[in-house]
Amino acid sequence: MLLAAMLAGCATTPTTGTGGDYGTSASSSSSRSSPPSGEPRQQPVDARADLQGSPALALLDRAEGARNQGNMSAAGRYLERALSMEPDSSWVYRQLARLRLEEGDAHSAEGLALRALRLAPYNPGYQAELWDLVATARERQGDKEGAREARERAQELRRGTA
Amino acid sequence: MAKKAKRAAPRRRKKKASARRWISGRFLAKVLAVGLVAMAAGLIYLDALVQERFDSHVWQLPARVYARPVELYPGRVLSRADMLKMLELMRYRQAPGAPTPGSYSVNGNRLIIHTRGFRDSDGGEPSQRLNLRLGGGEIASLQAGQGGSLARLEPMQIGSIHPGHSEDRVYVPLDRVPPLMVKMLLATEDQDFYEHHGVSLRGLARAMLANIKAGRLVQGGSTLTQQLVKNFWLTQDRTLLRKLVELPMAVLLELHYSKEQILEAYINEVYLGQDGSRSIHGMGLGAQFYFGRPLEELEPHQLATLVGLLKGPSWYDPRRRPERSLKRRNTVLQVARQQGALSEEELHRFSKRGLEVVPRGESPLYAFPAFIDLVRRQLARDYPPEVLGVDGLRIHSTLDVLAQLAAEKALRDHLENKDPGGKNHLNGAVVVVAPTQGDVLAVVSNRRSREHGFNRALDAVRPIGSLVKPAVVLAALEQPEKYSLATIVNDEPLSVPLRNNEPWQPKNFDNKSLGPMPIHDVLVRSRNQALARLGMEVGLSKVAETLKTLGVQRDIPLYPSILLGSLGLTPFEVAMMYQPLATGGFSTPLRSITDVLDKDGQPIARYPITTEEVLPQEPVFVLQQAMQDVVDQGTGRGVRAKLPASVKVAGKTGTSDNFRDAWFAGFSANHLAVVWVGRDDNSPAGVSGSSGAVPVWAQLMASLPQRSLSQKPPAGVEWVWMDPSGTLVSGEGCDGAHRYPMLPASIPEEADRCGSRDGDKKKGVLQWFKGWFD
Repeated sequence: MLLAAMLAGCATTPTTGTGGDYGTSASSSSSRSSPPSGEPRQQPVDARADLQGSPALALLDRAEGARNQGNMSAAGRYLERALSMEPDSSWVYRQLARLRLEEGDAHSAEGLALRALRLAPYNPGYQAELWDLVATARERQGDKEGAREARERAQELRRGTA
Repeated sequence: MAKKAKRAAPRRRKKKASARRWISGRFLAKVLAVGLVAMAAGLIYLDALVQERFDSHVWQLPARVYARPVELYPGRVLSRADMLKMLELMRYRQAPGAPTPGSYSVNGNRLIIHTRGFRDSDGGEPSQRLNLRLGGGEIASLQAGQGGSLARLEPMQIGSIHPGHSEDRVYVPLDRVPPLMVKMLLATEDQDFYEHHGVSLRGLARAMLANIKAGRLVQGGSTLTQQLVKNFWLTQDRTLLRKLVELPMAVLLELHYSKEQILEAYINEVYLGQDGSRSIHGMGLGAQFYFGRPLEELEPHQLATLVGLLKGPSWYDPRRRPERSLKRRNTVLQVARQQGALSEEELHRFSKRGLEVVPRGESPLYAFPAFIDLVRRQLARDYPPEVLGVDGLRIHSTLDVLAQLAAEKALRDHLENKDPGGKNHLNGAVVVVAPTQGDVLAVVSNRRSREHGFNRALDAVRPIGSLVKPAVVLAALEQPEKYSLATIVNDEPLSVPLRNNEPWQPKNFDNKSLGPMPIHDVLVRSRNQALARLGMEVGLSKVAETLKTLGVQRDIPLYPSILLGSLGLTPFEVAMMYQPLATGGFSTPLRSITDVLDKDGQPIARYPITTEEVLPQEPVFVLQQAMQDVVDQGTGRGVRAKLPASVKVAGKTGTSDNFRDAWFAGFSANHLAVVWVGRDDNSPAGVSGSSGAVPVWAQLMASLPQRSLSQKPPAGVEWVWMDPSGTLVSGEGCDGAHRYPMLPASIPEEADRCGSRDGDKKKGVLQWFKGWFD
């Protein structure tokens, strides 16, 4: 019985659609962490999977375009707009973290990558990649010990021991 | 201000009158020489004055502050009423087919909006026509130009900041001034503008003739240049003395500057009326003040009203003297017709229109002084005045106009109900934040929100009372091997000896002590004695450390009384402190500005989102659950009168000693709001958190689109049935059992008899979980 209750409590809720900061009334914000069942089902992670059908996708594309042209501030602005539409999107935080790292703001990059991890769906490969991002951000801040820990987390995830 | 300046110079000539008897050739020559020297000196002085003022003043524009642009996309929660309210506030005019920028048409739930377009650090938004369908309380579909489904309305200007003085302009360069306005202006005020050199003899003669005819002074015969001089440097009274200085100055102005520069300065400088203590200068600001729209969007009859005002802004005030103003306006239209600027048909059509001024105080411009104050402070903190002095900065702020209006209304409605007319001097403050990004969406610092003055939201440092309790509980939950929500604490009197003082003996609000109870109930029922015991056990320094982690920057004295909120914070600081609780442990600096652009729309500075993990998510989730119960069952349950139970929110009430301060701080997934109600003189206000602040919070949150807090525990937290002692695992349906979110380290190994029926299975699961997460 307890097991059943726990399973119910943990069951992965489907991603709510759009709404963002402007809300979808009464819908639970979707946090999509690790599934509880014996054999966790891995969820694919990329922009399309994370932001299925969301208008924020268009903004991610524009951000990428701006970034390729070296216009970092425009790219940042697009991503922040996407974030206000999809505040629970791990992917948007990941993109922001990578952008900040490129801009040389390792401290922000670390925080944003950790937040991406917090919201990450169950996918060890993706999570490992985020831990690598955290590690790089920590290295750039001179935090060797923290970087090593983050690398270890990434490796554990890749080995499937996490 | 310089307008009152420099009338002393000519005064010395008065002596001449008594000197007449002493006239002789030599003396006359001397006087003449002195006079010439004085005149030359005067001219040099005036010349410097003309240039200095013209160069430094006309072109120095204040920084303009904008609200966040309204994002439109399918799925955004937006009621039809709110959509129309936004369009109304932004002065979109209703017109079939939405033909021009700044217009819209509405047909049931379908809207066509012709946006105005704007520049931004991401390139901005073109002016385009949007097809929008609303349905089910949200945007059902949206078609923008080029097949996009994403668009923004231009950011609404909400104020301006001038580093030097409080004067303000909505600066309009000459090439954006409607040509019709220029024609009307020259036709009515200065027909020879392009021929004269600052002074028009023809104009003077015409004026003199008119004056003789009327038998009194009815026309000044001033050129635009002279009027500009008057506006710039001189007082408004018509004295001969002023005239004497005005003439040379006008000529000097024409010597140094082109006709276009003078015309542009005139249009942006001319005095058009008074808004309380604020003077309305310039056609751009005049258009906003009287019609709520940019000058470029005004129709001929509105332009004529503005031009008509030049003859006497208070005499022809279209709000207070509508008949007079209408008559004057139609005269301007007729003159425009005579000059060929309007066709006969247009004259006929526009003469029939009403004045169409907007009611005073309805414009969003200058409506949010408390928020603008925050922007000003954050700018001053981050930029030296030189940077702020850069001409015409555009500051993009985080203000959400709908949230701001909702917050103002909630505070006003409640205080009018509690204290009609403000006889008891009850006032309050509200801060609304988007917790994930740290964006400040609204700041209210007065029940009369448009009034400037004491910024309670930013400056009223008041004891936070029980708002501190979540921090005390969090400090305990951070030691999961010792504390969980199920841990029993005694709600019994206690006495803490203090050095050089009476011992500290806190009481409960009801003056009762309820005995042993789980920490969960201590928080939900806000029990002082139990919480004080818990806090003393956890340790004052540990509690202070947690408060610092949450973002409290003030010195925290290690007195036991801090456990019950003797610490004073401003509403804004409380929002900072609750922000990591709302985001599951991430701290994000609160920002009121996203971008600073120069006047050409080029980015100068950005305030990017930054975030830092300051607390592990597990204890924060557990605390959030208890804070949800504060709203669902505890001291904050008044919220449910307005907000449906399906919307999961969390919060905490606070009341200071003798009911001086009422607080409520709480959050959904997308809004964090802090409400304070009390008196400025810190006297007992007879308000508690439940009665004084909760209703404001509830009304505010209910009028904004909310996303529920996630109910799904993070990895590492599980829901466990616990027996009443808080030391044994129990089971559903067992006597006195309660279900709490628990960290693995808090879950006891043993179960009570009732719960042990399926103990083995449970143990297996626990082991599985532990293995999984460790």
